Amino acid sequence: MNHTNVTLRVNEVDYPISISTERNLSGVLRETIGLTGTKEGCDDCECGACMVLLDGQPINSCSYLAVQAEGCAITTVEGLADGDELHALQRNILEAGGVQCGFCTPGMLMSARALLDRTPDPTDEEIRIGLSGNLCRCTGYARIIDAVRTTAVELSN
Amino acid sequence: MQTFVRADGPDKVTGSGRYVADLSLTGMLHAKFLYAGLAHGRIQNLNVEPARNLPGVLSVLTAADVPDIRYSPVIPDRTLFAKDVVRFEGEILAAVAATTPAIAAAAIELIEVDIDPLPVVNDIEAALKGDCLLVHPDWEGYDVSGDTVRDGNVASFSSIEKGDVEAGMRQADVTVTSRYVADASHAAPIEPRGIVAQWEGEKVTIWTSSQVPYDARAGVCETLGLPSNRVRIIVPHLGGGFGGKCGFHFEAHIAALAKATKRPVKLVFSREEEFLAPDRRREGMVVEITTGLTNDGDILARQAWVGIDNGAYVADAAFFPQLAAMHVGGPYKVPAIKIDAQLIYTNHQPSGSVRAPTAPQACWALESHTDELAAAVDMDPINFRLRNVVRTGDEGIAGQIYEEIGLDRCLQLATDSIGSPTLADDEAIGVAVGWWPSFAAPAGAYAKMQDDGSVQIITGAQECGTGAVMTLRDIAADELGIDVTDIQLVYQDTAAAPTGPGATGSQTLLNHGRAVESASRQIADQLRELAADELEAAASDIVLGDGKAFVTGSPAMSVPIADLAATAAGGDLLLSSASAPMPDWPTVSAQCVGDQEMAAWLAPQFSCHAVRVRLDADTGVARVVEVHTAHDSGTILNPVGALGQVEGGVMMGIGQALSEGTYYDENGRQTNPALLEYKLQTMADAPPITTQFVEINTPNAGPRGSKGLAEAPNVATAAAISNALAKLVGGPLRQLPMTPERVWEAATEIRGRR
Amino acid sequence: MSFLRANTADEAVQLLAEGARPIAGGTDLVVGARQGKAPLPQNLVAIDRIAELGVIEATESHIRIGSGVTHAQLMVDPLIVDRLTGVADAAALVGSPATRNVGTVGGNIMNGSPAMDTGAPLMALGAVAELRSIEGTREVALTDLWCGPGRTTARPDELCTALLIPSPRDQIGSAYVRLEYRRAMEIAVVGAAACMALDAGVIVSIRLALTAVAPTIQEVTGLDVLIGERADDKSFAAIAELARDQAQPISDVRASDHYRRHTVGVMAQRAGHAAASRANGDLITVPVNRALGIGAAS
Ligand SMILES: Cc1cc2nc3c(=O)[nH]c(=O)nc-3n(C[C@H](O)[C@H](O)[C@H](O)COP(=O)(O)OP(=O)(O)OC[C@H]3O[C@@H](n4cnc5c(N)ncnc54)[C@H](O)[C@@H]3O)c2cc1C
Ligand code: FES
Ligand code: FES
Repeated sequence: MNHTNVTLRVNEVDYPISISTERNLSGVLRETIGLTGTKEGCDDCECGACMVLLDGQPINSCSYLAVQAEGCAITTVEGLADGDELHALQRNILEAGGVQCGFCTPGMLMSARALLDRTPDPTDEEIRIGLSGNLCRCTGYARIIDAVRTTAVELSN
Repeated sequence: MQTFVRADGPDKVTGSGRYVADLSLTGMLHAKFLYAGLAHGRIQNLNVEPARNLPGVLSVLTAADVPDIRYSPVIPDRTLFAKDVVRFEGEILAAVAATTPAIAAAAIELIEVDIDPLPVVNDIEAALKGDCLLVHPDWEGYDVSGDTVRDGNVASFSSIEKGDVEAGMRQADVTVTSRYVADASHAAPIEPRGIVAQWEGEKVTIWTSSQVPYDARAGVCETLGLPSNRVRIIVPHLGGGFGGKCGFHFEAHIAALAKATKRPVKLVFSREEEFLAPDRRREGMVVEITTGLTNDGDILARQAWVGIDNGAYVADAAFFPQLAAMHVGGPYKVPAIKIDAQLIYTNHQPSGSVRAPTAPQACWALESHTDELAAAVDMDPINFRLRNVVRTGDEGIAGQIYEEIGLDRCLQLATDSIGSPTLADDEAIGVAVGWWPSFAAPAGAYAKMQDDGSVQIITGAQECGTGAVMTLRDIAADELGIDVTDIQLVYQDTAAAPTGPGATGSQTLLNHGRAVESASRQIADQLRELAADELEAAASDIVLGDGKAFVTGSPAMSVPIADLAATAAGGDLLLSSASAPMPDWPTVSAQCVGDQEMAAWLAPQFSCHAVRVRLDADTGVARVVEVHTAHDSGTILNPVGALGQVEGGVMMGIGQALSEGTYYDENGRQTNPALLEYKLQTMADAPPITTQFVEINTPNAGPRGSKGLAEAPNVATAAAISNALAKLVGGPLRQLPMTPERVWEAATEIRGRR
Repeated sequence: MSFLRANTADEAVQLLAEGARPIAGGTDLVVGARQGKAPLPQNLVAIDRIAELGVIEATESHIRIGSGVTHAQLMVDPLIVDRLTGVADAAALVGSPATRNVGTVGGNIMNGSPAMDTGAPLMALGAVAELRSIEGTREVALTDLWCGPGRTTARPDELCTALLIPSPRDQIGSAYVRLEYRRAMEIAVVGAAACMALDAGVIVSIRLALTAVAPTIQEVTGLDVLIGERADDKSFAAIAELARDQAQPISDVRASDHYRRHTVGVMAQRAGHAAASRANGDLITVPVNRALGIGAAS
């Protein structure tokens, strides 16, 4: 198989790697780079567990070619906290009870982060649409919506 | 309300928490399965040599390579690999271990397989016809346990019979007969299952995404012929289960591959495999029900038949008929009742316990029927229910007398909460009640307090996301009078903890909770003895709290618990072990053929869901606008966790009501095994949900009077939506899920009849 | 397998001539490969960072949408929302925010699925695809571009550089609605786009195109009879009739043919209604589905 050398910049760290062209970004993040916080819940863009940010925009990394991400800033859930200090979204989703099994959580957090960067004061409908590509089977969503709303208020103060 | 940040939370929000798919071991191989791909057929040829010869392949296993053992609880009707005949499309023919997933997949392609198709038993009513092919022609030879009644394609039959139904029907002013048909559906946890197995000498360690580590261990032991102490099951974080990860699944296949290759082997399912292969699908169901009542709205008699699509193997479904019979009977006062329920073999994926097995479908049928009853006597459906539901001291359908219960309160609270808002023409309100048993099972726990006063609780409980295991810490902290952060849980490791049912049947608090309570209490008793010596008081006067032991009434006379722990470390260590005491089981008076112990319900949980639904009549697309719930699950120990269970259960229920159905083509194969076609509700679809708890300190239940809560919220939602939709289309919806097309067709048909 | 990145359309066209195939957002291409529908092409050229393809601009006669414009851009671009509102309606419904971030209009069009969302409004608005190869540039009307599910009349070495839409005059409105079972992560069960010009409430021109009821996006013919009629319920009902008559739906796991035939009429009627309202200057926010609560929306 044809390997190419690429450098992926993930959470502000450069990773020079050699990968075959058809590999998906989530696989490379998890297996080659070793950041397993990004989850895979399906095969093809149906669940959102694999959501990462590419230059600040959410993408389904399971169905994105890793080579295509070269030159972009990739942010995964591991890059959300500031050292040991949880990001407000992480703290609020825990306090609101928006985490159960936690499998959707990394993807949810990435979508929420992108939403709040773009729309600092979202309406509930904007939150619902903004996170609509992330399926959660456990929570019924209500507490996740609460956490995003609380964070928006907190960050705008 | 107190905030409750779960102990495993930080791991989960930072991405540092490991799920099975995140694990890798040096030298690890990757497994793939070859599936039948057709629903019924006789294997003529299975040649795995070409796969074995592919470079990078280290092992290919088939039925010939593992012990020839039939397994499954109650009705052992299956083997690890198909032998001679395949009975559903997801049945495993061979397993490959190779150096990469891609090579494993390529090896699967190389296996030569030749299966002669057999006629497909594709629906339960056809399966019951005398001339129908038997899915298991050798069924009589299976070594079945318990009071299991079988015949031909009927894998298990149960009935509940009480009073004189014929007389009741004769007395009735009105009888109403209805028929309802529910499609199968799926648990669909977001984490697809994964397994890693590694042998060290004669022992195997298996990391698996299981809700029930001890059942998984039992399955491995049974099928591979190993003693329990040589199989260790560890569950890392578990990405949801909803019953889909109950039972024993593929752990033995992977252990066998790891043994054959002398290497660690890993399996991670694709989403499609997650839909097709596990023996845990929510069962399709047909309900035919007749109820006789007086013009005043009193139920006199009920008769019903329930047919359950078991699929190809029974898995854990043998008790489904009796459980479904209870749900079709309902939490009502019914003096005379006869319900027959059959679990029927077909060539579909096997059914198994998915969140409140049989209940959402059966409740949907019963509660839709109940609205028909109310209409037949021209009564408001809420008043009709208030008149007929069981209350404290009443006798249930199987003759059980209920101790203190709060169903009537639930009905009142949920319907008050939704109130009577002004409804648009395209809106209606629907209400339904539901119930669910608590299951007591043996469970154990160890507790130890170290010399610094910190505590480890070692429990066989399994955290599947609900947070119930997290709540165990609170129980221990409460018993020991120390801060919850001073308690660490060791869990999800069969080598460390005593046995227990795991995350199944809403049992964590009920059973593991009682064990943890008891183990902690023993240490608390030891602490009280130590403190009594220290403070020169009677042990019975010592109270533990705020990290101190003090004399009741004189808080100034105290000693830090950590000091007591240090003292103990020099002599009698603070160690304990306990089993959950088995509660007294209620008795029933009904006659039950094929009794599976599902007619007497320990500490039953009750609920009422009221929904407002909007219907786009031109397309049949329905949207749930708001949901109001009230639950009697006994004392609520963790309010945030409890609300999360209700909200999640309601959303799953909305999916079941409107968009989640598994469909089969004429060859018995699933047509929508993907999340874009099997539609879970998204955040954009989520309505506001209110929840109220009727907190009854339930006698004979779990710690502090708690009951279970993980399954109950899943029971009544689809039914409530159905009753709202029925008002909007002018008649009952007879198929579940109530997809837009079905709703539109029903509306068109009803309009045509007028 | 090789992967190259083109920085200009010229570079891309050159690589296409050498046998490479374009990948924009990859939301069809990569997903299709993962689903086993079609393997990834041997040689890929990434076109997602070609600046000139990411531009939306108005010329005197046309609005030009670069093929690399994403759905997320389309749904909020003032020019699109204002003048080609139906296209914004469609873009706003595609998949999820992540799909819209990377999925492009060029990929949508060139992928040629009969269930694509931007196809119907673009067709109703009279769009033309600009196709470029090393031999030059040609324009193909969307009505001539698709020739079957997943098939176009473009040659493999042609790059779609833009979609050209004749500048709509004033008092013209367009709208796209689709039937969806849930409010996000959907593929159109059926859909309809209408573009209508009014003069004092009377229909001056009208075009209608349908999604997911034929092997390709399908334009409805015979609407001329409505010219000169008032844009009222009677006309909208007539639109529904024509749509139902001309649809050639199939049955699949999402819907039966007769349900599709019925609902495409409903969608056509609603698209007509919304387009007429917009032509009248009424504000219906994008997307119509969510503004009016159609299908799964509310
Ligand atoms: C979860 C999910 C939901 C979706 N929902 C919708 C939906 O609701 N509505 C909808 O319409 N679509 C939907 N799609 C499909 C897809 O997102 C869109 O069709 C998208 O616009 C494709 O654009 P792309 O840039 O990703 O295309 P790519 O995948 O990059 O390309 C698609 C095809 O077009 C070719 N191509 C791309 N650009 C050009 C060009 N400039 N010139 C020539 N050929 C080109 C490629 O070679 C390839 O054959 C969905 C997809 C997913 C995964
Ligand atoms: S894993 Fe990428 S969307 Fe499911
Ligand atoms: S918390 Fe389990 S899927 Fe969201």
